[in-house]
Amino acid sequence: MGDDEQTGQPTVSVGEFVRAAPARLGLSVLAGGGGLSVRRINSSRIQKLGLALAGFTHYIHEGRVQIVGQSEVWFLGQLPEGRRREAISNLALGRISCVLVTKDLVPPAELVEAAEAEGLPLLRTPLVSSAAISVVSEHLQQALAPRELRHGVLLDAYGLGVLIEGESGIGKSECALDLIVRGHRLVADDTVEVRRVGAERLTGCAPELLREHMEIRGLGIINIRELFGVSSIWAGAKQIGLSIRLERWGEMKEVDRLGVDVSEVEILGVRIPQVLLPVSPGRNLSTLVETALRVHLLRARGRNAALDFVARHAALLAHEAGGAGGGGESGEPGENVSAAARSDFSDEPEEA
Amino acid sequence: MQERRVVIVNRLGLHARAAAKLVRAAGEFASVVRLERADGGASADAKSILSVLMLAAARGTELKVTAEGADEAQAVEAVCRLIEGGFGEES
Repeated sequence: MGDDEQTGQPTVSVGEFVRAAPARLGLSVLAGGGGLSVRRINSSRIQKLGLALAGFTHYIHEGRVQIVGQSEVWFLGQLPEGRRREAISNLALGRISCVLVTKDLVPPAELVEAAEAEGLPLLRTPLVSSAAISVVSEHLQQALAPRELRHGVLLDAYGLGVLIEGESGIGKSECALDLIVRGHRLVADDTVEVRRVGAERLTGCAPELLREHMEIRGLGIINIRELFGVSSIWAGAKQIGLSIRLERWGEMKEVDRLGVDVSEVEILGVRIPQVLLPVSPGRNLSTLVETALRVHLLRARGRNAALDFVARHAALLAHEAGGAGGGGESGEPGENVSAAARSDFSDEPEEA
Repeated sequence: MQERRVVIVNRLGLHARAAAKLVRAAGEFASVVRLERADGGASADAKSILSVLMLAAARGTELKVTAEGADEAQAVEAVCRLIEGGFGEES
C-alpha cells in the first residue's frame, strides 16, 4: 500500500495484490517474480491486451492489470514465431504493471521468456476471463479506495457505525468502554482506518495491530474480546453513519439548544451527520451518546421531535398574535405567522 | 438589580430560533437573567430555552428584562439590544 506522489491516488504493488487477492482467484506467478515488489497497480479497472498484441499499443494503461485470455493466446499461437516475438516486444513490457493469464491457459514460451527478462510479473488464474475480471476489479476497488487514518473510536451501536472523536484525554475511550459494557460493539479504538467505498460510503476498521484492543488510562492496554466476549467486538469494516464530537464545555463556540440544525463533517469528500457534545463533569457521556444515536435513528425514519416542537410553539405564537389582535396585518394573522415560523426551518424534512 | 422593558418587534415574535439566540446571549453572563411578560403572565429564566419558549411572546408583546449579579447592567443591555434589534432578522 502506498500513494502515488503526484496524484495522491493509492497504489498497491503487484506482490501485495497477489498476497491479498481473494483465494478463489487462485493466483500463481508463472514468471517475472523479480518485479513483484517494484511494479505497482493504481487502478481497479483492468485492460485486455487484445488490440495491443495486434500492434495498437497506444492505449495501454500502465497501472492496470492486463488480462490475457483465450483470444490473445490463440492469436499469438497462430502467428509465425518472428511475428510473435515482435508482437510481444511491441508491448513494452518494461512499463506494464502485470499480466494475468486466465482459464489456466498456457501462454506462449516467448511471453514467459520476455516476462522473466523484463521482470514483469506474469500471473495465472484458473477462472475464465469474465469471472476473473469481476473478482480482480472488486478486490482492487477495496484495496485502492481512498483512505485516511483518524484519531477516534469506532463503535457499532444499534447497528449504526458511530465514530467518536475529540481531542486527546477528553474521554473517548472511557465513553466507548461504557458503551461496550452496555452491549454495543468495538470496531476500533484510538486509530480508525477510514475508507471511501464508492462515491458516498465510508467504512472504518481497526488497523491490524490494534484490533480488539483498547487503551484506558490507568488500566493500560486491554483486550476487549477476552474481557467482554465475542459479541463485544465487530470484526472487520463497519459503515460509518454518524460522527460524535466531544468538546470541552468552555471551548465550544456554540451549543445547539434546539437540535433543529444538523451539522455535518466531511471525511474523504463524504459528508456525514455530526453531533457536537459538550463534555463537563456530571454529564454521563455514554448515556448522551446512546440518546444521540436514538435521536439520529428516529430522524432517519422521519420523526424529528425538535421540528415538531418548533411547529407546536409556532402555532402557539400564532394563536397569541391572533388573540392579542396586535400582530397581524391581513385577515388571518395567526396563520401567516405560524406558516412563516415553520418555513424558517424549511431546509429540514418535515411532514406535509 | 437591573430592570428594563422591551417590546418584541420582529414579525415572527420570540420564535424557537430567536429564543435559542437569546438563551445563548444570556448564557454569556454570570448574573441571573429573567424575562417576564409585562401583562403579568409567564416569567422565564433567560438561560433556559424551554422556559423562554413558554413565554409565547408574539410580536407586540412587552417584556420586562431583569438581571441580578456582578454583570447585571451588561446582561440587561445585551438581552434588550438583541430583542430590540429583532434578533437580527429582517422584519
